[in-house]
Amino acid sequence: MTTVTLDITSTGWVTTFQDLGRHGTEARGVPTGGAADQHSASVANLLVGNPRGATLIENLGGELALVPDTDVLLAVTGTPARVTVGGAGADAWTPLVVPAGQEVRVRADMDLGTRTYLAVNGTLTAPALLGSTAPDARMGFGQAVVPGTPVLLETDFHGFRRRHFEPPLFRLPVPVPRFDDGPWTVDVVPTHGIHEIHGIRELIEDSTYVVTPRSNHVGLRLAGPVLHPDSATEIVSHGVPVGALQIPHADELIVLGRYRSLTAGYPIVGVASRACLPLLGQAGPGRRLRFRWVDRETSLRRYARREAEVRALQHAAVDAFTASGITAPLPIS
Amino acid sequence: MTTTAQYGAIAVEPFGDSAVMVTIPHPDQEIRRAGIVAFRERLLAHRPHGVVDVVSGLESLLVEFDPLQTALPHVEYAARLVARWAPAPAVDSGGARAARSFVIPVVFDEENGPDLLSVAEELGVTPDGVVEAIAGSTFTIALLGAAMAPMMDGLKVPRPVRRRAEPRTDVAPGAVMIAGTNAIIQPFPGPTGWRVVGRTPHTVVDISRPDPVSFGTGDTVRFVPVGPDEAAAMDAGFLTPVEESA
Repeated sequence: MTTVTLDITSTGWVTTFQDLGRHGTEARGVPTGGAADQHSASVANLLVGNPRGATLIENLGGELALVPDTDVLLAVTGTPARVTVGGAGADAWTPLVVPAGQEVRVRADMDLGTRTYLAVNGTLTAPALLGSTAPDARMGFGQAVVPGTPVLLETDFHGFRRRHFEPPLFRLPVPVPRFDDGPWTVDVVPTHGIHEIHGIRELIEDSTYVVTPRSNHVGLRLAGPVLHPDSATEIVSHGVPVGALQIPHADELIVLGRYRSLTAGYPIVGVASRACLPLLGQAGPGRRLRFRWVDRETSLRRYARREAEVRALQHAAVDAFTASGITAPLPIS
Repeated sequence: MTTTAQYGAIAVEPFGDSAVMVTIPHPDQEIRRAGIVAFRERLLAHRPHGVVDVVSGLESLLVEFDPLQTALPHVEYAARLVARWAPAPAVDSGGARAARSFVIPVVFDEENGPDLLSVAEELGVTPDGVVEAIAGSTFTIALLGAAMAPMMDGLKVPRPVRRRAEPRTDVAPGAVMIAGTNAIIQPFPGPTGWRVVGRTPHTVVDISRPDPVSFGTGDTVRFVPVGPDEAAAMDAGFLTPVEESA
Protein backbone atom coordinates (compact mmCIF):
# COMPACT_ATOMS: atom_id res chain seq x y z
CA MET A 1 0.00 0.00 0.00
CA THR A 2 1.34 3.40 -0.99
CA THR A 3 0.17 6.79 0.18
CA VAL A 4 -0.11 9.11 -2.79
CA THR A 5 -0.61 12.86 -2.56
CA LEU A 6 -2.94 14.40 -5.11
CA ASP A 7 -2.12 18.07 -5.40
CA ILE A 8 -5.35 19.87 -6.26
CA THR A 9 -4.43 22.66 -8.70
CA SER A 10 -7.92 23.73 -9.79
CA THR A 11 -11.51 23.01 -8.80
CA GLY A 12 -14.85 23.72 -10.46
CA TRP A 13 -17.86 25.63 -9.11
CA VAL A 14 -18.70 22.79 -6.76
CA THR A 15 -16.09 20.08 -6.22
CA THR A 16 -16.60 17.55 -3.44
CA PHE A 17 -15.81 14.08 -2.25
CA GLN A 18 -18.67 11.84 -3.22
CA ASP A 19 -19.91 8.26 -3.18
CA LEU A 20 -23.18 6.46 -3.86
CA GLY A 21 -24.79 7.82 -0.69
CA ARG A 22 -25.88 6.66 2.73
CA HIS A 23 -27.56 3.34 3.42
CA GLY A 24 -30.35 2.93 5.92
CA THR A 25 -30.20 6.52 7.18
CA GLU A 26 -33.47 7.80 5.74
CA ALA A 27 -35.26 6.12 8.64
CA ARG A 28 -33.26 8.53 10.84
CA GLY A 29 -34.00 11.68 8.88
CA VAL A 30 -30.87 11.79 6.73
CA PRO A 31 -31.49 11.53 2.99
CA THR A 32 -29.43 8.98 1.07
CA GLY A 33 -27.71 11.72 -0.92
CA GLY A 34 -24.66 10.71 -2.92
CA ALA A 35 -23.65 11.16 -6.55
CA ALA A 36 -26.32 12.91 -8.60
CA ASP A 37 -25.36 10.69 -11.54
CA GLN A 38 -24.96 7.29 -9.87
CA HIS A 39 -24.26 5.53 -13.14
CA SER A 40 -21.25 7.69 -14.00
CA ALA A 41 -19.94 7.44 -10.43
CA SER A 42 -20.26 3.63 -10.41
CA VAL A 43 -18.59 3.24 -13.80
CA ALA A 44 -15.71 5.59 -12.87
CA ASN A 45 -14.90 3.40 -9.89
CA LEU A 46 -15.20 0.13 -11.81
CA LEU A 47 -12.86 1.48 -14.51
CA VAL A 48 -10.07 1.84 -11.94
CA GLY A 49 -10.70 -1.45 -10.16
CA ASN A 50 -12.54 0.01 -7.18
CA PRO A 51 -15.83 -1.13 -5.68
CA ARG A 52 -18.71 0.90 -7.11
CA GLY A 53 -19.33 2.73 -3.86
CA ALA A 54 -15.74 3.92 -3.32
CA THR A 55 -15.13 7.59 -2.59
CA LEU A 56 -14.41 9.66 -5.68
CA ILE A 57 -14.50 13.32 -6.71
CA GLU A 58 -17.63 14.92 -8.18
CA ASN A 59 -17.16 18.16 -10.08
CA LEU A 60 -19.78 20.62 -11.27
CA GLY A 61 -18.72 23.33 -13.72
CA GLY A 62 -15.38 25.02 -14.22
CA GLU A 63 -12.22 22.95 -14.43
CA LEU A 64 -10.90 20.28 -12.10
CA ALA A 65 -7.14 19.70 -12.15
CA LEU A 66 -4.77 17.68 -10.02
CA VAL A 67 -1.21 16.36 -10.00
CA PRO A 68 -0.34 13.03 -8.34
CA ASP A 69 3.12 12.60 -6.79
CA THR A 70 3.19 8.92 -7.83
CA ASP A 71 1.77 7.14 -10.91
CA VAL A 72 -1.96 6.56 -10.44
CA LEU A 73 -4.70 4.70 -12.30
CA LEU A 74 -7.56 7.12 -12.86
CA ALA A 75 -10.80 7.44 -14.82
CA VAL A 76 -13.09 10.32 -15.72
CA THR A 77 -16.78 9.84 -16.46
CA GLY A 78 -19.95 11.92 -16.49
CA THR A 79 -20.90 14.57 -18.99
CA PRO A 80 -18.68 14.82 -22.10
CA ALA A 81 -15.51 16.62 -21.05
CA ARG A 82 -12.13 17.65 -22.39
CA VAL A 83 -9.60 15.57 -20.48
CA THR A 84 -5.85 16.21 -20.72
CA VAL A 85 -2.90 14.50 -19.08
CA GLY A 86 0.26 16.59 -19.11
CA GLY A 87 -1.38 18.80 -21.73
CA ALA A 88 -2.13 15.98 -24.18
CA GLY A 89 -5.69 14.95 -24.92
CA ALA A 90 -6.95 11.82 -23.19
CA ASP A 91 -10.16 9.82 -23.23
CA ALA A 92 -12.95 9.83 -20.70
CA TRP A 93 -14.78 6.59 -19.76
CA THR A 94 -11.57 4.53 -19.84
CA PRO A 95 -8.76 3.76 -17.37
CA LEU A 96 -5.85 6.23 -17.65
CA VAL A 97 -2.40 6.05 -16.15
CA VAL A 98 -1.39 9.48 -14.94
CA PRO A 99 2.37 9.54 -14.37
CA ALA A 100 3.84 11.17 -11.28
CA GLY A 101 4.09 14.93 -11.63
CA GLN A 102 1.77 15.17 -14.65
CA GLU A 103 -1.33 17.29 -14.36
CA VAL A 104 -4.72 15.86 -15.29
CA ARG A 105 -7.32 18.45 -16.24
CA VAL A 106 -11.05 17.93 -16.74
CA ARG A 107 -13.29 20.58 -18.27
CA ALA A 108 -16.88 19.59 -18.98
CA ASP A 109 -18.98 20.67 -21.91
CA MET A 110 -21.62 22.44 -19.84
CA ASP A 111 -24.02 22.64 -22.79
CA LEU A 112 -24.69 18.95 -22.26
CA GLY A 113 -24.53 17.65 -18.69
CA THR A 114 -23.29 19.34 -15.54
CA ARG A 115 -21.19 16.84 -13.61
CA THR A 116 -18.00 14.88 -14.09
CA TYR A 117 -16.63 12.13 -11.86
CA LEU A 118 -12.98 11.36 -11.24
CA ALA A 119 -12.07 8.06 -9.60
CA VAL A 120 -8.59 6.86 -8.67
CA ASN A 121 -7.57 3.28 -7.91
CA GLY A 122 -7.44 2.96 -4.14
CA THR A 123 -9.04 4.70 -1.21
CA LEU A 124 -9.29 8.49 -1.05
CA THR A 125 -8.86 9.80 2.49
CA ALA A 126 -12.03 11.71 3.32
CA PRO A 127 -14.16 12.21 6.44
CA ALA A 128 -17.33 10.13 6.64
CA LEU A 129 -20.74 10.87 8.10
CA LEU A 130 -22.98 7.91 8.90
CA GLY A 131 -20.86 5.57 6.84
CA SER A 132 -20.61 7.72 3.72
CA THR A 133 -18.32 10.42 2.36
CA ALA A 134 -21.16 12.08 0.42
CA PRO A 135 -21.72 15.69 1.45
CA ASP A 136 -24.84 16.69 3.37
CA ALA A 137 -25.22 20.46 3.29
CA ARG A 138 -28.11 20.49 5.75
CA MET A 139 -25.97 18.82 8.40
CA GLY A 140 -23.02 21.10 7.73
CA PHE A 141 -21.03 18.28 6.11
CA GLY A 142 -19.57 20.10 3.11
CA GLN A 143 -16.82 17.73 1.88
CA ALA A 144 -15.41 20.39 -0.44
CA VAL A 145 -12.23 19.61 -2.32
CA VAL A 146 -10.25 22.87 -2.42
CA PRO A 147 -7.20 23.99 -4.38
CA GLY A 148 -4.04 23.93 -2.33
CA THR A 149 -5.27 21.30 0.11
CA PRO A 150 -3.80 17.98 -1.00
CA VAL A 151 -5.96 14.87 -1.12
CA LEU A 152 -4.38 11.67 0.13
CA LEU A 153 -4.86 8.32 -1.55
CA GLU A 154 -4.04 4.83 -0.29
CA THR A 155 -3.40 2.58 -3.26
CA ASP A 156 -1.83 -0.73 -4.28
CA PHE A 157 -1.28 0.51 -7.83
CA HIS A 158 2.35 0.38 -8.79
CA GLY A 159 2.13 1.71 -12.28
CA PHE A 160 2.70 0.55 -15.81
CA ARG A 161 5.66 1.42 -17.88
CA ARG A 162 3.65 2.97 -20.67
CA ARG A 163 4.01 5.94 -22.91
CA HIS A 164 1.14 8.27 -23.30
CA PHE A 165 0.64 7.76 -27.05
CA GLU A 166 0.35 3.99 -26.90
CA PRO A 167 -3.07 2.46 -27.54
CA PRO A 168 -5.58 2.38 -24.69
CA LEU A 169 -4.71 0.01 -21.88
CA PHE A 170 -7.89 -1.97 -21.91
CA ARG A 171 -10.81 -2.42 -24.21
CA LEU A 172 -13.68 -2.75 -21.78
CA PRO A 173 -17.42 -2.91 -22.48
CA VAL A 174 -18.21 0.52 -21.04
CA PRO A 175 -21.86 1.61 -20.93
CA VAL A 176 -21.43 5.26 -21.93
CA PRO A 177 -24.72 7.14 -21.73
CA ARG A 178 -25.81 9.48 -24.50
CA PHE A 179 -25.84 13.18 -23.83
CA ASP A 180 -27.96 14.67 -26.60
CA ASP A 181 -28.25 18.30 -27.59
CA GLY A 182 -32.01 18.12 -27.95
CA PRO A 183 -34.56 17.50 -25.19
CA TRP A 184 -33.80 14.56 -22.91
CA THR A 185 -36.61 12.03 -22.50
CA VAL A 186 -37.37 10.96 -18.94
CA ASP A 187 -39.59 7.95 -18.22
CA VAL A 188 -42.07 8.50 -15.41
CA VAL A 189 -44.25 6.00 -13.55
CA PRO A 190 -47.57 7.67 -12.70
CA THR A 191 -48.68 7.79 -9.06
CA HIS A 192 -52.03 8.16 -7.37
CA GLY A 193 -51.83 11.98 -7.52
CA ILE A 194 -52.25 11.97 -11.28
CA HIS A 195 -55.95 11.25 -10.86
CA GLU A 196 -56.46 14.34 -8.73
CA ILE A 197 -55.63 16.75 -11.55
CA HIS A 198 -57.76 16.38 -14.63
CA GLY A 199 -55.72 16.58 -17.85
CA ILE A 200 -52.29 16.64 -16.20
CA ARG A 201 -51.20 13.36 -17.82
CA GLU A 202 -51.77 14.70 -21.34
CA LEU A 203 -50.34 18.13 -20.53
CA ILE A 204 -47.05 16.78 -19.16
CA GLU A 205 -46.72 14.28 -21.99
CA ASP A 206 -47.23 16.96 -24.66
CA SER A 207 -45.06 19.69 -23.16
CA THR A 208 -41.36 20.48 -23.03
CA TYR A 209 -39.95 21.65 -19.71
CA VAL A 210 -36.81 23.70 -19.10
CA VAL A 211 -34.56 23.35 -16.04
CA THR A 212 -34.32 26.73 -14.27
CA PRO A 213 -31.28 28.11 -12.39
CA ARG A 214 -33.19 27.74 -9.10
CA SER A 215 -32.46 24.01 -9.24
CA ASN A 216 -30.12 22.25 -6.81
CA HIS A 217 -29.37 18.88 -5.22
CA VAL A 218 -32.76 18.93 -3.46
CA GLY A 219 -34.67 19.22 -6.69
CA LEU A 220 -34.81 20.38 -10.29
CA ARG A 221 -37.25 23.24 -10.77
CA LEU A 222 -38.72 23.19 -14.25
CA ALA A 223 -40.42 25.94 -16.19
CA GLY A 224 -43.35 24.73 -18.27
CA PRO A 225 -47.10 24.32 -18.19
CA VAL A 226 -48.76 22.72 -15.15
CA LEU A 227 -52.26 22.34 -13.75
CA HIS A 228 -53.33 22.45 -10.13
CA PRO A 229 -55.89 20.36 -8.26
CA ASP A 230 -59.36 21.91 -7.94
CA SER A 231 -59.61 21.46 -4.22
CA ALA A 232 -56.76 22.11 -1.82
CA THR A 233 -56.84 18.94 0.23
CA GLU A 234 -54.50 19.13 3.18
CA ILE A 235 -51.73 16.60 2.83
CA VAL A 236 -49.80 15.64 5.96
CA SER A 237 -45.96 15.60 5.78
CA HIS A 238 -44.83 12.40 4.11
CA GLY A 239 -41.75 10.83 2.56
CA VAL A 240 -41.25 10.77 -1.20
CA PRO A 241 -38.99 8.69 -3.45
CA VAL A 242 -36.09 10.25 -5.33
CA GLY A 243 -37.37 11.37 -8.73
CA ALA A 244 -40.87 12.33 -7.57
CA LEU A 245 -42.62 14.87 -9.84
CA GLN A 246 -44.23 17.43 -7.59
CA ILE A 247 -46.46 20.36 -8.50
CA PRO A 248 -46.02 23.22 -6.01
CA HIS A 249 -48.46 26.12 -5.68
CA ALA A 250 -46.44 28.13 -8.19
CA ASP A 251 -46.61 27.36 -11.91
CA GLU A 252 -43.64 25.03 -12.09
CA LEU A 253 -42.80 21.36 -11.92
CA ILE A 254 -40.26 20.01 -9.42
CA VAL A 255 -38.33 16.77 -9.82
CA LEU A 256 -37.00 15.83 -6.40
CA GLY A 257 -33.37 14.79 -6.10
CA ARG A 258 -31.34 12.61 -3.76
CA TYR A 259 -31.30 15.24 -0.98
CA ARG A 260 -35.07 15.72 -0.83
CA SER A 261 -36.82 15.99 2.53
CA LEU A 262 -40.40 15.29 3.61
CA THR A 263 -43.03 17.06 1.59
CA ALA A 264 -46.55 18.22 2.39
CA GLY A 265 -49.44 19.74 0.58
CA TYR A 266 -48.14 19.39 -2.97
CA PRO A 267 -49.58 16.79 -5.31
CA ILE A 268 -47.15 14.23 -6.71
CA VAL A 269 -48.15 12.98 -10.12
CA GLY A 270 -45.39 10.48 -10.84
CA VAL A 271 -41.92 9.20 -10.03
CA ALA A 272 -39.11 9.15 -12.59
CA SER A 273 -37.90 5.68 -13.52
CA ARG A 274 -34.78 4.50 -11.70
CA ALA A 275 -33.21 4.05 -15.11
CA CYS A 276 -33.54 7.82 -15.77
CA LEU A 277 -32.31 9.16 -12.42
CA PRO A 278 -28.64 9.38 -13.54
CA LEU A 279 -29.69 11.49 -16.54
CA LEU A 280 -31.73 13.80 -14.30
CA GLY A 281 -28.64 14.13 -12.11
CA GLN A 282 -26.84 15.62 -15.10
CA ALA A 283 -29.54 18.14 -16.08
CA GLY A 284 -28.52 21.76 -15.58
CA PRO A 285 -30.14 25.15 -16.20
CA GLY A 286 -31.45 25.48 -19.74
CA ARG A 287 -31.73 21.73 -20.28
CA ARG A 288 -34.98 20.80 -22.02
CA LEU A 289 -36.79 17.73 -20.71
CA ARG A 290 -39.70 15.70 -22.05
CA PHE A 291 -41.60 13.21 -19.95
CA ARG A 292 -42.93 9.87 -21.12
CA TRP A 293 -45.38 7.88 -18.99
CA VAL A 294 -44.39 4.25 -18.58
CA ASP A 295 -45.70 1.43 -16.46
CA ARG A 296 -43.67 -0.06 -13.62
CA GLU A 297 -42.69 -3.17 -15.59
CA THR A 298 -41.28 -1.19 -18.51
CA SER A 299 -39.43 1.09 -16.14
CA LEU A 300 -37.83 -1.79 -14.28
CA ARG A 301 -36.98 -3.66 -17.48
CA ARG A 302 -34.92 -0.66 -18.62
CA TYR A 303 -33.30 -0.37 -15.22
CA ALA A 304 -32.42 -4.08 -15.19
CA ARG A 305 -30.86 -3.76 -18.65
CA ARG A 306 -28.71 -0.82 -17.51
CA GLU A 307 -27.71 -2.73 -14.39
CA ALA A 308 -26.73 -5.78 -16.48
CA GLU A 309 -24.42 -3.56 -18.55
CA VAL A 310 -22.74 -2.23 -15.43
CA ARG A 311 -22.30 -5.77 -14.09
CA ALA A 312 -20.80 -6.88 -17.40
CA LEU A 313 -18.29 -4.05 -17.12
CA GLN A 314 -17.58 -5.01 -13.52
CA HIS A 315 -16.77 -8.60 -14.50
CA ALA A 316 -14.66 -7.54 -17.48
CA ALA A 317 -12.77 -4.99 -15.39
CA VAL A 318 -12.07 -7.47 -12.61
CA ASP A 319 -10.83 -10.03 -15.18
CA ALA A 320 -8.65 -7.49 -16.96
CA PHE A 321 -7.17 -6.06 -13.78
CA THR A 322 -6.55 -9.48 -12.26
CA ALA A 323 -4.97 -10.81 -15.44
CA SER A 324 -2.68 -7.79 -15.69
CA GLY A 325 -1.81 -7.98 -11.99
CA ILE A 326 -2.91 -4.42 -11.39
CA THR A 327 -2.40 -4.78 -7.67
CA ALA A 328 1.17 -6.04 -8.10
CA PRO A 329 4.15 -4.31 -9.74
CA LEU A 330 3.79 -4.99 -13.44
CA PRO A 331 6.27 -3.62 -15.93
CA ILE A 332 4.81 -3.40 -19.43
CA SER A 333 7.39 -2.51 -22.02
CA MET B 1 -45.73 1.91 24.90
CA THR B 2 -46.73 3.04 21.45
CA THR B 3 -45.46 -0.13 19.80
CA THR B 4 -48.41 -2.08 21.17
CA ALA B 5 -50.93 0.35 19.70
CA GLN B 6 -53.85 -1.28 17.92
CA TYR B 7 -54.26 0.07 14.43
CA GLY B 8 -56.04 -2.57 12.38
CA ALA B 9 -55.47 -2.87 8.65
CA ILE B 10 -52.87 -0.96 6.63
CA ALA B 11 -53.12 0.50 3.14
CA VAL B 12 -50.21 -0.12 0.78
CA GLU B 13 -49.88 1.99 -2.34
CA PRO B 14 -47.20 1.75 -5.04
CA PHE B 15 -45.05 4.90 -5.29
CA GLY B 16 -42.85 4.78 -8.38
CA ASP B 17 -40.91 1.70 -9.45
CA SER B 18 -39.17 0.93 -6.15
CA ALA B 19 -41.21 2.17 -3.20
CA VAL B 20 -44.59 1.76 -1.54
CA MET B 21 -46.45 4.14 0.74
CA VAL B 22 -48.00 2.56 3.83
CA THR B 23 -50.79 4.35 5.68
CA ILE B 24 -53.37 3.38 8.26
CA PRO B 25 -56.89 4.14 7.09
CA HIS B 26 -58.45 4.92 10.47
CA PRO B 27 -60.77 7.87 11.23
CA ASP B 28 -58.92 8.72 14.46
CA GLN B 29 -55.81 10.80 13.80
CA GLU B 30 -54.17 9.68 17.03
CA ILE B 31 -54.50 6.03 16.06
CA ARG B 32 -53.18 6.74 12.56
CA ARG B 33 -50.10 8.45 14.01
CA ALA B 34 -49.37 6.01 16.84
CA GLY B 35 -50.17 3.10 14.53
CA ILE B 36 -47.68 4.10 11.86
CA VAL B 37 -44.95 4.38 14.52
CA ALA B 38 -45.81 0.88 15.74
CA PHE B 39 -45.84 -0.44 12.18
CA ARG B 40 -42.46 1.15 11.40
CA GLU B 41 -40.84 -0.41 14.47
CA ARG B 42 -42.20 -3.83 13.54
CA LEU B 43 -41.15 -3.54 9.92
CA LEU B 44 -37.63 -2.42 10.84
CA ALA B 45 -37.32 -5.24 13.40
CA HIS B 46 -38.22 -7.80 10.71
CA ARG B 47 -36.69 -6.10 7.64
CA PRO B 48 -38.31 -7.96 4.73
CA HIS B 49 -35.80 -9.04 2.08
CA GLY B 50 -34.94 -6.27 -0.37
CA VAL B 51 -36.23 -3.40 1.80
CA VAL B 52 -33.39 -0.87 1.82
CA ASP B 53 -34.76 2.05 3.83
CA VAL B 54 -37.89 3.76 5.11
CA VAL B 55 -38.93 7.41 5.39
CA SER B 56 -41.25 8.33 8.24
CA GLY B 57 -44.06 10.77 7.65
CA LEU B 58 -46.45 11.95 10.33
CA GLU B 59 -49.10 9.46 9.20
CA SER B 60 -47.28 7.36 6.64
CA LEU B 61 -44.22 5.25 5.99
CA LEU B 62 -42.44 5.24 2.64
CA VAL B 63 -40.85 1.81 2.22
CA GLU B 64 -38.02 1.82 -0.31
CA PHE B 65 -36.87 -1.44 -1.89
CA ASP B 66 -34.29 -2.67 -4.36
CA PRO B 67 -36.37 -3.83 -7.35
CA LEU B 68 -33.64 -6.22 -8.46
CA GLN B 69 -33.77 -8.07 -5.13
CA THR B 70 -37.50 -8.11 -4.58
CA ALA B 71 -40.69 -6.97 -6.27
CA LEU B 72 -43.68 -4.85 -5.44
CA PRO B 73 -46.08 -7.73 -4.64
CA HIS B 74 -43.55 -9.29 -2.24
CA VAL B 75 -43.01 -6.02 -0.40
CA GLU B 76 -46.74 -5.41 -0.17
CA TYR B 77 -47.33 -8.94 1.12
CA ALA B 78 -44.51 -8.66 3.66
CA ALA B 79 -45.86 -5.33 4.90
CA ARG B 80 -49.32 -6.83 5.44
CA LEU B 81 -47.84 -9.84 7.21
CA VAL B 82 -45.78 -7.63 9.49
CA ALA B 83 -48.81 -5.49 10.30
CA ARG B 84 -51.01 -8.48 11.03
CA TRP B 85 -48.74 -11.02 12.62
CA ALA B 86 -45.43 -9.63 13.74
CA PRO B 87 -45.28 -9.03 17.47
CA ALA B 88 -44.03 -5.68 18.67
CA PRO B 89 -40.24 -5.82 18.88
CA ALA B 90 -39.30 -7.03 22.33
CA VAL B 91 -36.76 -4.96 24.18
CA ASP B 92 -34.64 -7.98 25.10
CA SER B 93 -34.69 -9.64 21.68
CA GLY B 94 -32.00 -7.38 20.31
CA GLY B 95 -34.46 -6.25 17.65
CA ALA B 96 -35.04 -2.97 19.41
CA ARG B 97 -33.14 -1.08 22.04
CA ALA B 98 -34.54 -0.12 25.41
CA ALA B 99 -36.20 3.30 25.49
CA ARG B 100 -34.04 5.94 27.15
CA SER B 101 -35.12 9.09 28.87
CA PHE B 102 -33.84 12.61 28.44
CA VAL B 103 -34.19 15.64 30.68
CA ILE B 104 -33.38 18.69 28.60
CA PRO B 105 -32.74 22.15 30.07
CA VAL B 106 -34.39 24.92 28.06
CA VAL B 107 -34.29 28.70 28.32
CA PHE B 108 -37.84 29.90 27.75
CA ASP B 109 -37.71 33.67 27.29
CA GLU B 110 -38.52 36.21 24.61
CA GLU B 111 -35.03 36.25 23.19
CA ASN B 112 -34.80 32.47 22.80
CA GLY B 113 -38.52 31.90 22.24
CA PRO B 114 -39.80 34.64 19.94
CA ASP B 115 -43.11 32.82 19.38
CA LEU B 116 -43.83 32.26 23.08
CA LEU B 117 -46.11 35.28 23.34
CA SER B 118 -48.14 34.55 20.20
CA VAL B 119 -48.60 30.90 21.23
CA ALA B 120 -49.83 32.10 24.65
CA GLU B 121 -52.33 34.44 22.97
CA GLU B 122 -53.51 31.68 20.66
CA LEU B 123 -54.08 29.30 23.60
CA GLY B 124 -55.56 32.00 25.84
CA VAL B 125 -52.95 31.57 28.58
CA THR B 126 -49.92 33.50 29.79
CA PRO B 127 -46.42 32.79 28.41
CA ASP B 128 -45.66 31.16 31.79
CA GLY B 129 -48.71 28.95 31.21
CA VAL B 130 -47.23 27.78 27.90
CA VAL B 131 -43.91 27.00 29.62
CA GLU B 132 -45.76 25.09 32.35
CA ALA B 133 -47.65 23.08 29.72
CA ILE B 134 -44.41 22.16 27.97
CA ALA B 135 -42.56 21.38 31.21
CA GLY B 136 -45.53 19.32 32.41
CA SER B 137 -45.63 17.15 29.29
CA THR B 138 -43.72 13.92 28.80
CA PHE B 139 -42.80 13.60 25.14
CA THR B 140 -42.05 10.48 23.14
CA ILE B 141 -39.76 10.69 20.10
CA ALA B 142 -41.93 9.54 17.20
CA LEU B 143 -39.43 10.02 14.40
CA LEU B 144 -36.15 11.63 13.46
CA GLY B 145 -36.97 14.45 11.07
CA ALA B 146 -34.74 16.39 8.69
CA ALA B 147 -31.06 16.23 9.73
CA MET B 148 -31.96 13.83 12.59
CA ALA B 149 -34.11 16.38 14.45
CA PRO B 150 -36.04 14.61 17.24
CA MET B 151 -39.76 15.00 16.48
CA MET B 152 -41.85 14.30 19.57
CA ASP B 153 -45.49 13.62 20.45
CA GLY B 154 -47.16 14.41 23.72
CA LEU B 155 -47.56 18.17 24.13
CA LYS B 156 -50.44 18.67 26.56
CA VAL B 157 -52.23 21.82 25.41
CA PRO B 158 -55.96 22.67 25.26
CA ARG B 159 -55.85 22.61 21.46
CA PRO B 160 -53.23 21.98 18.76
CA VAL B 161 -50.81 24.84 18.16
CA ARG B 162 -50.81 26.29 14.65
CA ARG B 163 -47.69 26.49 12.51
CA ARG B 164 -46.34 29.90 11.50
CA ALA B 165 -47.99 31.40 8.43
CA GLU B 166 -44.62 32.85 7.37
CA PRO B 167 -41.80 30.40 8.09
CA ARG B 168 -38.78 31.79 9.92
CA THR B 169 -35.73 31.76 7.67
CA ASP B 170 -32.91 31.30 10.14
CA VAL B 171 -33.49 29.54 13.44
CA ALA B 172 -30.52 28.79 15.69
CA PRO B 173 -29.49 25.24 16.53
CA GLY B 174 -30.95 24.08 19.85
CA ALA B 175 -34.21 25.99 19.27
CA VAL B 176 -37.11 24.17 20.93
CA MET B 177 -40.19 24.42 18.74
CA ILE B 178 -43.81 23.31 18.89
CA ALA B 179 -46.69 22.78 16.44
CA GLY B 180 -49.87 20.74 16.77
CA THR B 181 -49.23 18.56 19.81
CA ASN B 182 -45.64 17.97 18.73
CA ALA B 183 -42.28 19.38 19.71
CA ILE B 184 -38.97 19.33 17.83
CA ILE B 185 -35.44 20.61 18.39
CA GLN B 186 -33.64 22.40 15.57
CA PRO B 187 -30.27 20.66 15.09
CA PHE B 188 -28.67 23.07 12.59
CA PRO B 189 -29.29 26.68 11.60
CA GLY B 190 -32.07 26.84 9.05
CA PRO B 191 -35.65 27.70 8.17
CA THR B 192 -38.73 26.39 9.97
CA GLY B 193 -42.48 26.82 10.09
CA TRP B 194 -42.63 25.60 13.70
CA ARG B 195 -43.23 28.03 16.59
CA VAL B 196 -39.98 28.78 18.39
CA VAL B 197 -40.56 28.84 22.18
CA GLY B 198 -37.13 28.30 23.75
CA ARG B 199 -33.60 27.07 23.31
CA THR B 200 -31.49 24.36 24.90
CA PRO B 201 -27.76 24.90 25.44
CA HIS B 202 -27.13 21.26 24.45
CA THR B 203 -25.83 20.12 21.07
CA VAL B 204 -28.48 17.68 19.85
CA VAL B 205 -26.70 16.52 16.68
CA ASP B 206 -22.89 16.37 16.47
CA ILE B 207 -21.59 15.21 13.08
CA SER B 208 -18.07 14.69 14.42
CA ARG B 209 -19.32 11.66 16.37
CA PRO B 210 -19.61 8.20 14.80
CA ASP B 211 -23.28 8.32 15.78
CA PRO B 212 -24.28 11.99 15.65
CA VAL B 213 -27.23 11.55 18.05
CA SER B 214 -27.78 9.78 21.37
CA PHE B 215 -31.55 9.43 21.01
CA GLY B 216 -33.85 7.24 18.97
CA THR B 217 -37.53 6.68 18.36
CA GLY B 218 -39.46 5.59 21.43
CA ASP B 219 -37.23 7.54 23.85
CA THR B 220 -38.95 9.94 26.26
CA VAL B 221 -38.13 13.59 26.77
CA ARG B 222 -38.96 16.14 29.47
CA PHE B 223 -38.05 19.82 29.22
CA VAL B 224 -36.86 21.66 32.31
CA PRO B 225 -36.97 25.48 32.32
CA VAL B 226 -33.68 27.15 33.26
CA GLY B 227 -32.54 30.78 33.29
CA PRO B 228 -30.15 32.11 30.64
CA ASP B 229 -27.29 32.50 33.15
CA GLU B 230 -27.82 29.00 34.47
CA ALA B 231 -27.79 27.67 30.87
CA ALA B 232 -24.61 29.57 30.07
CA ALA B 233 -22.91 28.21 33.20
CA MET B 234 -23.82 24.61 32.36
CA ASP B 235 -21.17 23.90 29.74
CA ALA B 236 -23.94 21.67 28.36
CA GLY B 237 -22.22 20.00 25.38
CA PHE B 238 -23.55 16.94 23.57
CA LEU B 239 -27.01 15.82 24.67
CA THR B 240 -26.95 12.45 26.45
CA PRO B 241 -29.68 10.46 28.19
CA VAL B 242 -30.30 10.34 31.91
CA GLU B 243 -28.21 7.60 33.55
CA GLU B 244 -30.36 4.67 34.58
CA SER B 245 -30.47 4.43 38.37
CA ALA B 246 -30.47 0.83 39.54
